[in-house]
Amino acid sequence: MTSVLRPEEGSRGQVAMVFDLNKCMGCQTCSVACKVLWTREEGEKHQWWMTVNTQPGSGTPKDWETMGGGVERGGKPLPGHQPTRADFGGGWDFNYQEVFYGGKGSSVHLRPEENGATSWGMNWDEDQGGGEWPNSFYFYLPRLCNHCTRPVCAEACPNGSMYKRREDGIVLRDEDMCMGFRFCMEACPYKKIYFNYARNVAQHCIFCFPRLERGVAPACARQCPGRLAFVGMLEDQEGPIHRLVHEWRVALPLHAEYGTGPNIFYVPPLSPYRLHEDMTIDYETPRIPPAYLESLFGPNVHAALATLKQELDTVRQGGTSEILDTLIAYKWQSLFGPFTVDPGELDGNAVPVALTTKPT
Amino acid sequence: MTIHAVRTASDAKDLPATEWAAAQPAQLSLTPVPLEAQPNAYIRTTWADRAYGTVQEVRVAATCDDGRFHVRLEWEDPAAEEGEFGDAAAVFFPADTDAPAHTIGADGHPVTLWYWRSTNSAAQVVEASGPGVFRPVAVTGATSVGVVSALSGGRWSVVFNGPLSLLEPARKLGVVVWNGTNEERAGLAAVTAAWVPVELPD
Repeated sequence: MTSVLRPEEGSRGQVAMVFDLNKCMGCQTCSVACKVLWTREEGEKHQWWMTVNTQPGSGTPKDWETMGGGVERGGKPLPGHQPTRADFGGGWDFNYQEVFYGGKGSSVHLRPEENGATSWGMNWDEDQGGGEWPNSFYFYLPRLCNHCTRPVCAEACPNGSMYKRREDGIVLRDEDMCMGFRFCMEACPYKKIYFNYARNVAQHCIFCFPRLERGVAPACARQCPGRLAFVGMLEDQEGPIHRLVHEWRVALPLHAEYGTGPNIFYVPPLSPYRLHEDMTIDYETPRIPPAYLESLFGPNVHAALATLKQELDTVRQGGTSEILDTLIAYKWQSLFGPFTVDPGELDGNAVPVALTTKPT
Repeated sequence: MTIHAVRTASDAKDLPATEWAAAQPAQLSLTPVPLEAQPNAYIRTTWADRAYGTVQEVRVAATCDDGRFHVRLEWEDPAAEEGEFGDAAAVFFPADTDAPAHTIGADGHPVTLWYWRSTNSAAQVVEASGPGVFRPVAVTGATSVGVVSALSGGRWSVVFNGPLSLLEPARKLGVVVWNGTNEERAGLAAVTAAWVPVELPD
Protein backbone atom coordinates (compact mmCIF):
# COMPACT_ATOMS: atom_id res chain seq x y z
CA MET A 1 0.00 0.00 0.00
CA THR A 2 1.23 3.47 -0.83
CA SER A 3 2.06 5.49 2.27
CA VAL A 4 -0.34 8.26 3.14
CA LEU A 5 2.44 10.20 4.86
CA ARG A 6 3.55 13.31 3.02
CA PRO A 7 5.99 14.48 1.99
CA GLU A 8 7.86 11.31 2.92
CA GLU A 9 7.90 8.41 5.34
CA GLY A 10 8.12 9.03 9.05
CA SER A 11 6.63 11.68 11.25
CA ARG A 12 8.47 14.34 13.16
CA GLY A 13 5.67 14.67 15.65
CA GLN A 14 1.98 14.52 16.28
CA VAL A 15 -0.13 17.45 17.26
CA ALA A 16 -2.79 16.45 19.77
CA MET A 17 -5.51 17.78 22.01
CA VAL A 18 -6.88 16.91 25.43
CA PHE A 19 -10.39 17.89 26.47
CA ASP A 20 -11.16 17.88 30.18
CA LEU A 21 -14.81 16.80 30.15
CA ASN A 22 -15.24 17.87 33.75
CA LYS A 23 -15.03 21.46 32.58
CA CYS A 24 -17.16 21.31 29.44
CA MET A 25 -20.47 23.13 29.86
CA GLY A 26 -21.79 22.49 26.37
CA CYS A 27 -21.80 26.15 25.39
CA GLN A 28 -20.85 25.41 21.77
CA THR A 29 -18.43 28.32 21.64
CA CYS A 30 -15.86 25.95 20.10
CA SER A 31 -18.38 24.80 17.48
CA VAL A 32 -19.28 28.36 16.55
CA ALA A 33 -15.65 29.52 16.52
CA CYS A 34 -14.88 26.80 13.99
CA LYS A 35 -18.04 27.43 12.00
CA VAL A 36 -17.35 31.13 11.66
CA LEU A 37 -13.77 30.52 10.59
CA TRP A 38 -14.04 27.56 8.22
CA THR A 39 -17.50 26.49 7.06
CA ARG A 40 -19.39 29.48 5.77
CA GLU A 41 -18.83 28.92 2.06
CA GLU A 42 -21.11 27.31 -0.50
CA GLY A 43 -22.08 23.74 0.38
CA GLU A 44 -20.83 24.05 3.95
CA LYS A 45 -23.98 25.12 5.73
CA HIS A 46 -24.56 21.71 7.32
CA GLN A 47 -20.88 21.24 8.15
CA TRP A 48 -19.70 21.53 11.75
CA TRP A 49 -16.11 20.33 11.90
CA MET A 50 -16.26 20.86 15.67
CA THR A 51 -19.31 19.58 17.50
CA VAL A 52 -20.38 19.16 21.10
CA ASN A 53 -22.95 16.53 21.90
CA THR A 54 -24.74 15.39 25.01
CA GLN A 55 -23.81 11.91 26.18
CA PRO A 56 -25.47 9.47 26.21
CA GLY A 57 -27.03 10.41 22.91
CA SER A 58 -27.18 9.75 19.22
CA GLY A 59 -24.73 12.56 18.44
CA THR A 60 -23.83 13.81 15.03
CA PRO A 61 -24.23 12.37 12.50
CA LYS A 62 -27.14 10.57 14.08
CA ASP A 63 -26.07 7.22 15.56
CA TRP A 64 -22.53 7.62 14.23
CA GLU A 65 -21.22 4.95 16.59
CA THR A 66 -23.18 2.31 14.67
CA MET A 67 -21.86 3.25 11.23
CA GLY A 68 -18.74 1.11 11.13
CA GLY A 69 -15.34 1.84 9.63
CA GLY A 70 -11.97 1.69 11.35
CA VAL A 71 -9.76 -1.38 11.46
CA GLU A 72 -10.04 -4.76 13.14
CA ARG A 73 -7.32 -6.18 15.39
CA GLY A 74 -5.36 -7.73 12.55
CA GLY A 75 -5.21 -4.39 10.80
CA LYS A 76 -7.79 -5.20 8.15
CA PRO A 77 -10.00 -2.23 7.25
CA LEU A 78 -13.62 -2.59 8.26
CA PRO A 79 -16.48 -1.55 6.01
CA GLY A 80 -18.29 1.58 7.03
CA HIS A 81 -21.47 3.42 6.22
CA GLN A 82 -21.30 6.79 4.54
CA PRO A 83 -23.34 9.23 6.63
CA THR A 84 -25.89 11.00 4.49
CA ARG A 85 -26.93 14.60 4.45
CA ALA A 86 -30.00 13.59 6.48
CA ASP A 87 -27.84 11.81 9.07
CA PHE A 88 -26.08 15.11 9.74
CA GLY A 89 -29.26 17.17 9.47
CA GLY A 90 -29.25 20.91 10.09
CA GLY A 91 -28.06 23.52 7.65
CA TRP A 92 -31.55 24.84 7.12
CA ASP A 93 -32.56 27.98 5.30
CA PHE A 94 -35.13 30.05 7.16
CA ASN A 95 -37.90 32.26 5.76
CA TYR A 96 -36.24 35.44 6.98
CA GLN A 97 -37.28 37.38 3.88
CA GLU A 98 -40.94 36.51 4.31
CA VAL A 99 -41.05 37.28 8.03
CA PHE A 100 -38.81 40.30 8.30
CA TYR A 101 -39.20 42.00 4.96
CA GLY A 102 -42.33 40.53 3.35
CA GLY A 103 -44.94 42.26 5.46
CA LYS A 104 -46.01 39.02 7.14
CA GLY A 105 -44.22 39.44 10.42
CA SER A 106 -47.39 39.14 12.47
CA SER A 107 -48.94 36.24 10.55
CA VAL A 108 -46.10 33.95 9.54
CA HIS A 109 -43.82 32.09 11.91
CA LEU A 110 -40.09 31.91 11.40
CA ARG A 111 -39.46 28.35 10.22
CA PRO A 112 -37.03 26.27 8.19
CA GLU A 113 -37.96 26.39 4.54
CA GLU A 114 -37.32 22.68 3.94
CA ASN A 115 -40.51 21.20 5.33
CA GLY A 116 -40.01 17.74 6.77
CA ALA A 117 -36.22 17.98 6.77
CA THR A 118 -35.88 19.17 10.33
CA SER A 119 -35.65 15.80 12.00
CA TRP A 120 -32.02 16.02 13.11
CA GLY A 121 -29.23 18.50 13.62
CA MET A 122 -25.74 18.74 15.05
CA ASN A 123 -26.98 19.23 18.63
CA TRP A 124 -30.48 17.81 18.32
CA ASP A 125 -30.59 15.73 21.50
CA GLU A 126 -29.01 18.33 23.76
CA ASP A 127 -29.32 17.65 27.49
CA GLN A 128 -31.50 14.57 27.07
CA GLY A 129 -28.80 12.26 28.41
CA GLY A 130 -29.60 9.01 30.21
CA GLY A 131 -30.92 7.51 33.40
CA GLU A 132 -34.15 8.15 35.30
CA TRP A 133 -34.91 10.81 37.86
CA PRO A 134 -33.49 11.26 40.43
CA ASN A 135 -30.50 9.54 38.86
CA SER A 136 -30.60 11.04 35.41
CA PHE A 137 -27.19 12.10 34.10
CA TYR A 138 -25.40 13.57 31.14
CA PHE A 139 -22.17 15.18 30.12
CA TYR A 140 -20.83 16.90 27.04
CA LEU A 141 -18.46 15.47 24.48
CA PRO A 142 -16.65 17.83 22.09
CA ARG A 143 -15.54 16.09 18.91
CA LEU A 144 -13.41 16.99 15.93
CA CYS A 145 -11.31 14.99 13.49
CA ASN A 146 -8.96 12.79 15.51
CA HIS A 147 -6.07 13.22 13.05
CA CYS A 148 -5.43 9.55 13.63
CA THR A 149 -2.05 7.91 13.72
CA ARG A 150 -3.47 5.44 11.24
CA PRO A 151 -5.76 7.59 9.09
CA VAL A 152 -8.01 5.00 7.49
CA CYS A 153 -9.77 7.82 5.66
CA ALA A 154 -6.59 8.58 3.73
CA GLU A 155 -5.86 4.90 3.20
CA ALA A 156 -9.29 4.44 1.65
CA CYS A 157 -8.90 7.36 -0.73
CA PRO A 158 -8.29 5.93 -4.21
CA ASN A 159 -6.36 8.82 -5.69
CA GLY A 160 -4.20 9.96 -2.78
CA SER A 161 -5.90 13.30 -2.35
CA MET A 162 -5.86 12.73 1.42
CA TYR A 163 -2.65 12.52 3.34
CA LYS A 164 -1.11 12.85 6.78
CA ARG A 165 1.51 15.53 6.77
CA ARG A 166 4.82 14.64 8.19
CA GLU A 167 5.65 17.70 10.21
CA ASP A 168 2.77 17.52 12.68
CA GLY A 169 0.55 14.57 11.76
CA ILE A 170 -2.40 16.67 10.64
CA VAL A 171 -4.62 14.79 8.20
CA LEU A 172 -5.44 16.93 5.19
CA ARG A 173 -7.07 16.73 1.80
CA ASP A 174 -6.05 18.37 -1.45
CA GLU A 175 -9.46 19.65 -2.48
CA ASP A 176 -8.28 20.24 -6.02
CA MET A 177 -7.61 16.53 -6.32
CA CYS A 178 -10.60 15.21 -4.39
CA MET A 179 -13.02 13.50 -6.78
CA GLY A 180 -15.86 13.22 -4.28
CA PHE A 181 -15.84 9.41 -4.12
CA ARG A 182 -16.40 9.49 -0.36
CA PHE A 183 -14.60 6.30 0.65
CA CYS A 184 -13.02 8.45 3.37
CA MET A 185 -16.46 9.08 4.85
CA GLU A 186 -17.16 5.36 4.95
CA ALA A 187 -13.80 4.40 6.40
CA CYS A 188 -13.66 7.05 9.15
CA PRO A 189 -15.13 5.36 12.24
CA TYR A 190 -15.71 8.71 13.95
CA LYS A 191 -17.78 10.05 11.02
CA LYS A 192 -16.20 13.48 11.17
CA ILE A 193 -15.96 13.97 7.41
CA TYR A 194 -18.62 15.95 5.57
CA PHE A 195 -19.51 16.14 1.91
CA ASN A 196 -19.83 19.42 0.08
CA TYR A 197 -22.53 18.73 -2.49
CA ALA A 198 -22.03 22.10 -4.17
CA ARG A 199 -18.33 21.57 -4.83
CA ASN A 200 -18.30 17.76 -4.96
CA VAL A 201 -15.52 17.41 -2.41
CA ALA A 202 -15.31 15.89 1.05
CA GLN A 203 -14.20 18.23 3.84
CA HIS A 204 -13.12 17.91 7.45
CA CYS A 205 -11.31 19.65 10.31
CA ILE A 206 -7.84 20.83 9.30
CA PHE A 207 -6.71 21.41 12.89
CA CYS A 208 -6.52 25.11 11.96
CA PHE A 209 -3.12 24.41 10.42
CA PRO A 210 -2.66 27.90 8.97
CA ARG A 211 -3.01 29.21 12.54
CA LEU A 212 -0.85 26.46 13.97
CA GLU A 213 1.95 27.23 11.52
CA ARG A 214 2.05 30.74 12.93
CA GLY A 215 1.98 29.70 16.55
CA VAL A 216 -1.75 30.23 17.11
CA ALA A 217 -3.89 27.54 18.74
CA PRO A 218 -6.89 26.18 16.79
CA ALA A 219 -9.97 28.39 17.05
CA CYS A 220 -12.03 25.82 18.95
CA ALA A 221 -9.45 25.59 21.72
CA ARG A 222 -8.52 29.26 21.78
CA GLN A 223 -12.16 30.38 22.09
CA CYS A 224 -13.15 27.83 24.75
CA PRO A 225 -14.33 29.84 27.77
CA GLY A 226 -14.07 26.79 30.03
CA ARG A 227 -10.34 26.38 29.35
CA LEU A 228 -10.80 22.67 28.88
CA ALA A 229 -8.90 22.19 25.64
CA PHE A 230 -5.16 21.56 25.65
CA VAL A 231 -3.17 21.76 22.42
CA GLY A 232 0.39 20.62 21.89
CA MET A 233 2.73 18.02 20.53
CA LEU A 234 2.11 14.57 21.94
CA GLU A 235 5.84 13.84 22.10
CA ASP A 236 6.66 16.94 24.18
CA GLN A 237 7.46 15.20 27.43
CA GLU A 238 7.33 18.42 29.41
CA GLY A 239 4.00 19.45 27.93
CA PRO A 240 0.64 18.86 29.61
CA ILE A 241 -0.67 16.57 26.87
CA HIS A 242 2.11 14.03 27.18
CA ARG A 243 1.87 14.09 30.94
CA LEU A 244 -1.94 13.78 31.01
CA VAL A 245 -1.98 10.99 28.42
CA HIS A 246 1.18 9.00 29.02
CA GLU A 247 2.51 9.88 32.45
CA TRP A 248 -0.61 10.31 34.58
CA ARG A 249 -2.90 8.38 32.21
CA VAL A 250 -5.95 10.44 33.05
CA ALA A 251 -6.65 11.42 29.42
CA LEU A 252 -7.93 8.68 27.15
CA PRO A 253 -8.81 8.29 23.49
CA LEU A 254 -12.43 7.93 22.41
CA HIS A 255 -13.29 4.47 21.11
CA ALA A 256 -9.71 3.25 20.93
CA GLU A 257 -11.16 -0.07 19.78
CA TYR A 258 -11.79 1.49 16.38
CA GLY A 259 -8.10 0.86 15.84
CA THR A 260 -7.05 4.11 14.18
CA GLY A 261 -4.99 5.67 16.97
CA PRO A 262 -6.93 8.87 17.58
CA ASN A 263 -4.93 11.88 18.77
CA ILE A 264 -7.74 13.66 20.58
CA PHE A 265 -7.92 12.62 24.23
CA TYR A 266 -10.46 13.12 26.99
CA VAL A 267 -10.26 13.44 30.75
CA PRO A 268 -13.37 11.40 31.65
CA PRO A 269 -16.17 12.99 33.66
CA LEU A 270 -16.47 12.41 37.37
CA SER A 271 -20.03 12.31 38.59
CA PRO A 272 -22.09 12.69 41.75
CA TYR A 273 -23.29 9.60 43.55
CA ARG A 274 -26.60 7.90 42.87
CA LEU A 275 -29.56 8.43 45.16
CA HIS A 276 -31.46 5.61 46.82
CA GLU A 277 -35.25 5.50 46.51
CA ASP A 278 -35.48 7.22 49.91
CA MET A 279 -33.25 9.97 48.51
CA THR A 280 -30.29 9.05 50.69
CA ILE A 281 -26.93 8.98 48.94
CA ASP A 282 -25.50 5.72 47.61
CA TYR A 283 -21.82 6.41 48.16
CA GLU A 284 -20.88 3.21 46.37
CA THR A 285 -22.30 4.06 42.95
CA PRO A 286 -21.49 6.98 40.68
CA ARG A 287 -24.37 8.58 38.78
CA ILE A 288 -22.72 8.01 35.41
CA PRO A 289 -22.52 4.23 34.99
CA PRO A 290 -18.85 3.18 34.81
CA ALA A 291 -19.78 0.65 32.16
CA TYR A 292 -21.05 3.45 29.97
CA LEU A 293 -17.82 5.40 30.34
CA GLU A 294 -15.89 2.22 29.58
CA SER A 295 -17.89 1.85 26.38
CA LEU A 296 -16.56 5.23 25.29
CA PHE A 297 -13.07 5.42 26.76
CA GLY A 298 -12.11 1.79 27.29
CA PRO A 299 -11.22 -0.18 30.41
CA ASN A 300 -8.52 2.28 31.50
CA VAL A 301 -11.25 4.78 32.34
CA HIS A 302 -11.68 3.23 35.79
CA ALA A 303 -8.04 3.80 36.71
CA ALA A 304 -8.18 7.33 35.30
CA LEU A 305 -11.22 8.18 37.41
CA ALA A 306 -9.62 6.61 40.48
CA THR A 307 -6.54 8.77 39.96
CA LEU A 308 -8.65 11.90 39.65
CA LYS A 309 -10.60 11.07 42.82
CA GLN A 310 -7.40 10.38 44.69
CA GLU A 311 -5.97 13.71 43.60
CA LEU A 312 -9.15 15.48 44.70
CA ASP A 313 -8.95 13.81 48.09
CA THR A 314 -5.33 14.86 48.44
CA VAL A 315 -6.18 18.50 47.80
CA ARG A 316 -9.22 18.38 50.09
CA GLN A 317 -6.93 17.21 52.83
CA GLY A 318 -4.66 20.17 52.31
CA GLY A 319 -2.19 18.59 49.92
CA THR A 320 -1.23 19.63 46.43
CA SER A 321 -1.83 17.97 43.09
CA GLU A 322 0.19 18.58 39.96
CA ILE A 323 -2.50 16.82 37.95
CA LEU A 324 -5.28 19.07 39.21
CA ASP A 325 -3.15 22.18 38.88
CA THR A 326 -2.51 21.20 35.27
CA LEU A 327 -6.19 20.60 34.60
CA ILE A 328 -7.25 23.84 36.28
CA ALA A 329 -4.92 25.77 33.95
CA TYR A 330 -4.52 28.88 36.09
CA LYS A 331 -2.95 30.65 33.11
CA TRP A 332 -4.45 30.08 29.69
CA GLN A 333 -0.99 29.95 28.11
CA SER A 334 -0.39 26.67 29.90
CA LEU A 335 -3.07 25.08 27.70
CA PHE A 336 -1.44 25.66 24.36
CA GLY A 337 2.25 24.80 24.63
CA PRO A 338 4.04 26.36 21.65
CA PHE A 339 0.81 27.79 20.20
CA THR A 340 0.20 30.85 22.38
CA VAL A 341 0.57 33.59 19.78
CA ASP A 342 -2.30 36.09 19.81
CA PRO A 343 -3.92 35.98 16.36
CA GLY A 344 -4.64 39.69 16.70
CA GLU A 345 -0.93 40.41 16.72
CA LEU A 346 -0.12 38.61 13.49
CA ASP A 347 1.02 40.51 10.45
CA GLY A 348 -2.10 40.66 8.32
CA ASN A 349 -0.04 40.92 5.17
CA ALA A 350 1.79 37.69 5.72
CA VAL A 351 1.05 35.16 3.03
CA PRO A 352 -0.83 32.21 4.50
CA VAL A 353 0.00 28.70 3.47
CA ALA A 354 -2.26 27.50 0.66
CA LEU A 355 -5.11 25.55 2.13
CA THR A 356 -5.51 22.95 -0.55
CA THR A 357 -2.06 22.29 -1.92
CA LYS A 358 -0.58 18.91 -1.28
CA PRO A 359 3.14 19.02 -0.53
CA THR A 360 5.32 17.11 -2.94
CA MET B 1 -15.07 -4.46 -32.94
CA THR B 2 -14.15 -1.14 -34.49
CA ILE B 3 -15.79 2.22 -34.08
CA HIS B 4 -16.19 3.91 -37.46
CA ALA B 5 -16.29 7.66 -37.03
CA VAL B 6 -18.02 9.65 -39.73
CA ARG B 7 -17.20 13.15 -40.78
CA THR B 8 -19.69 15.87 -40.03
CA ALA B 9 -19.80 19.37 -41.36
CA SER B 10 -21.35 20.87 -38.28
CA ASP B 11 -21.31 20.47 -34.57
CA ALA B 12 -22.84 17.14 -33.63
CA LYS B 13 -22.88 17.60 -29.89
CA ASP B 14 -26.54 18.40 -29.54
CA LEU B 15 -29.16 15.73 -28.92
CA PRO B 16 -30.84 14.62 -31.10
CA ALA B 17 -28.78 15.55 -34.13
CA THR B 18 -29.36 14.44 -37.64
CA GLU B 19 -25.61 14.07 -38.09
CA TRP B 20 -25.69 10.99 -35.90
CA ALA B 21 -27.86 9.12 -38.39
CA ALA B 22 -24.83 8.29 -40.53
CA ALA B 23 -22.75 7.07 -37.61
CA GLN B 24 -23.07 3.31 -37.29
CA PRO B 25 -22.95 2.48 -33.57
CA ALA B 26 -20.78 -0.31 -32.22
CA GLN B 27 -22.14 -2.52 -29.46
CA LEU B 28 -19.35 -2.98 -26.90
CA SER B 29 -19.26 -5.45 -24.02
CA LEU B 30 -18.21 -4.17 -20.64
CA THR B 31 -16.63 -6.10 -17.80
CA PRO B 32 -16.02 -5.18 -14.14
CA VAL B 33 -12.64 -3.61 -13.44
CA PRO B 34 -10.72 -6.41 -11.66
CA LEU B 35 -11.03 -6.38 -7.87
CA GLU B 36 -7.31 -7.11 -7.43
CA ALA B 37 -6.50 -3.96 -9.42
CA GLN B 38 -8.49 -1.70 -7.09
CA PRO B 39 -6.16 0.84 -5.52
CA ASN B 40 -6.37 0.08 -1.81
CA ALA B 41 -7.23 -2.52 0.81
CA TYR B 42 -10.34 -0.71 1.94
CA ILE B 43 -11.98 -0.92 -1.47
CA ARG B 44 -10.76 -4.46 -2.15
CA THR B 45 -12.03 -5.62 1.25
CA THR B 46 -15.37 -3.91 1.31
CA TRP B 47 -16.29 -4.85 -2.26
CA ALA B 48 -14.90 -8.41 -2.21
CA ASP B 49 -18.36 -9.92 -1.88
CA ARG B 50 -20.31 -7.27 -3.67
CA ALA B 51 -21.07 -7.10 -7.40
CA TYR B 52 -20.05 -4.00 -9.31
CA GLY B 53 -19.54 -3.10 -12.92
CA THR B 54 -23.16 -3.99 -13.44
CA VAL B 55 -23.68 -2.28 -16.81
CA GLN B 56 -22.80 -4.96 -19.34
CA GLU B 57 -23.13 -3.25 -22.69
CA VAL B 58 -22.71 0.19 -24.18
CA ARG B 59 -23.46 1.43 -27.68
CA VAL B 60 -20.81 3.75 -29.06
CA ALA B 61 -21.01 5.98 -32.11
CA ALA B 62 -18.54 8.63 -33.21
CA THR B 63 -18.27 11.57 -35.53
CA CYS B 64 -15.58 14.11 -36.16
CA ASP B 65 -14.98 17.37 -37.91
CA ASP B 66 -11.71 19.11 -38.59
CA GLY B 67 -10.69 19.59 -35.01
CA ARG B 68 -13.19 17.90 -32.72
CA PHE B 69 -14.09 14.33 -31.95
CA HIS B 70 -17.65 13.54 -30.90
CA VAL B 71 -18.51 10.26 -29.23
CA ARG B 72 -21.93 9.12 -28.12
CA LEU B 73 -22.43 6.48 -25.41
CA GLU B 74 -25.80 4.82 -24.88
CA TRP B 75 -26.74 2.20 -22.31
CA GLU B 76 -29.77 0.79 -20.60
CA ASP B 77 -30.47 2.01 -17.07
CA PRO B 78 -33.91 0.89 -15.90
CA ALA B 79 -33.38 2.08 -12.30
CA ALA B 80 -35.43 5.10 -11.36
CA GLU B 81 -32.98 6.21 -8.66
CA GLU B 82 -29.37 7.13 -9.35
CA GLY B 83 -28.30 6.99 -5.71
CA GLU B 84 -25.95 9.25 -3.79
CA PHE B 85 -23.19 9.18 -6.40
CA GLY B 86 -25.21 9.41 -9.57
CA ASP B 87 -24.62 7.53 -12.80
CA ALA B 88 -21.41 8.29 -14.64
CA ALA B 89 -19.52 7.42 -17.80
CA ALA B 90 -16.23 8.18 -19.44
CA VAL B 91 -14.44 7.64 -22.69
CA PHE B 92 -10.68 7.39 -22.38
CA PHE B 93 -7.58 7.43 -24.54
CA PRO B 94 -4.05 6.14 -23.94
CA ALA B 95 -1.60 8.77 -22.76
CA ASP B 96 1.19 6.22 -22.84
CA THR B 97 1.87 3.46 -25.37
CA ASP B 98 1.73 0.76 -22.68
CA ALA B 99 -1.36 2.06 -20.90
CA PRO B 100 -3.78 -0.80 -20.17
CA ALA B 101 -7.50 -0.38 -20.89
CA HIS B 102 -9.02 -2.92 -18.49
CA THR B 103 -7.68 -1.13 -15.40
CA ILE B 104 -8.17 2.42 -16.77
CA GLY B 105 -4.45 3.02 -16.96
CA ALA B 106 -1.75 1.97 -14.55
CA ASP B 107 0.96 3.54 -12.42
CA GLY B 108 3.35 5.19 -14.88
CA HIS B 109 1.07 4.36 -17.80
CA PRO B 110 -1.77 6.86 -17.64
CA VAL B 111 -4.85 7.35 -19.74
CA THR B 112 -6.87 10.51 -20.31
CA LEU B 113 -10.57 10.43 -19.45
CA TRP B 114 -13.42 12.55 -20.60
CA TYR B 115 -15.52 12.08 -17.50
CA TRP B 116 -19.21 12.79 -17.05
CA ARG B 117 -21.36 12.46 -13.94
CA SER B 118 -25.10 12.85 -13.86
CA THR B 119 -24.69 15.05 -10.78
CA ASN B 120 -22.55 17.56 -12.71
CA SER B 121 -23.51 19.53 -15.77
CA ALA B 122 -19.95 19.77 -17.11
CA ALA B 123 -17.48 17.15 -18.24
CA GLN B 124 -14.11 16.81 -16.53
CA VAL B 125 -10.79 15.89 -18.08
CA VAL B 126 -9.02 13.43 -15.82
CA GLU B 127 -5.69 11.67 -15.93
CA ALA B 128 -6.03 8.11 -14.64
CA SER B 129 -3.20 5.87 -13.49
CA GLY B 130 -5.39 2.97 -12.46
CA PRO B 131 -8.93 2.28 -11.27
CA GLY B 132 -10.07 5.40 -9.47
CA VAL B 133 -6.55 6.81 -9.34
CA PHE B 134 -7.83 9.95 -10.98
CA ARG B 135 -6.27 13.38 -11.13
CA PRO B 136 -8.31 16.25 -12.56
CA VAL B 137 -6.59 18.10 -15.38
CA ALA B 138 -7.18 21.79 -15.97
CA VAL B 139 -8.13 22.45 -19.59
CA THR B 140 -9.08 25.56 -21.51
CA GLY B 141 -10.07 26.58 -24.99
CA ALA B 142 -9.35 24.06 -27.71
CA THR B 143 -8.50 21.30 -25.24
CA SER B 144 -11.76 21.63 -23.35
CA VAL B 145 -14.37 18.90 -23.36
CA GLY B 146 -18.12 19.35 -23.64
CA VAL B 147 -20.87 16.95 -22.77
CA VAL B 148 -24.61 16.65 -23.34
CA SER B 149 -26.64 13.96 -21.61
CA ALA B 150 -30.21 12.74 -21.55
CA LEU B 151 -32.04 9.96 -19.73
CA SER B 152 -35.10 8.82 -21.61
CA GLY B 153 -37.11 5.63 -21.41
CA GLY B 154 -34.58 3.95 -19.15
CA ARG B 155 -31.70 4.69 -21.50
CA TRP B 156 -28.81 7.09 -21.01
CA SER B 157 -27.39 8.95 -23.97
CA VAL B 158 -24.20 10.90 -23.31
CA VAL B 159 -22.33 12.76 -26.03
CA PHE B 160 -18.79 14.02 -25.42
CA ASN B 161 -16.95 16.38 -27.69
CA GLY B 162 -13.28 17.13 -27.33
CA PRO B 163 -10.08 17.68 -29.25
CA LEU B 164 -9.54 15.19 -32.07
CA SER B 165 -5.82 15.47 -31.43
CA LEU B 166 -6.22 13.33 -28.30
CA LEU B 167 -7.56 10.40 -30.32
CA GLU B 168 -5.38 10.69 -33.38
CA PRO B 169 -2.04 9.31 -32.17
CA ALA B 170 -3.31 5.85 -31.20
CA ARG B 171 -6.78 5.89 -32.77
CA LYS B 172 -8.26 3.76 -30.01
CA LEU B 173 -10.40 4.35 -26.97
CA GLY B 174 -11.93 2.70 -23.94
CA VAL B 175 -15.28 3.22 -22.23
CA VAL B 176 -16.21 3.13 -18.53
CA VAL B 177 -19.73 3.19 -17.09
CA TRP B 178 -20.65 3.56 -13.42
CA ASN B 179 -24.06 2.48 -12.10
CA GLY B 180 -24.93 5.02 -9.42
CA THR B 181 -27.77 2.92 -8.04
CA ASN B 182 -25.13 0.35 -7.03
CA GLU B 183 -22.89 3.04 -5.44
CA GLU B 184 -20.33 2.52 -8.19
CA ARG B 185 -17.61 5.15 -8.39
CA ALA B 186 -13.83 5.42 -8.79
CA GLY B 187 -12.54 2.02 -9.97
CA LEU B 188 -15.79 0.25 -9.17
CA ALA B 189 -17.06 0.31 -12.72
CA ALA B 190 -17.68 -1.58 -15.93
CA VAL B 191 -14.99 -1.10 -18.56
CA THR B 192 -14.08 -2.23 -22.05
CA ALA B 193 -11.60 -5.03 -21.36
CA ALA B 194 -9.40 -4.05 -24.31
CA TRP B 195 -8.75 -0.98 -26.39
CA VAL B 196 -11.34 -0.41 -29.11
CA PRO B 197 -9.91 0.75 -32.47
CA VAL B 198 -11.39 3.88 -33.98
CA GLU B 199 -11.38 4.33 -37.73
CA LEU B 200 -11.36 7.96 -38.78
CA PRO B 201 -12.68 9.11 -42.15
CA ASP B 202 -10.20 10.19 -44.82
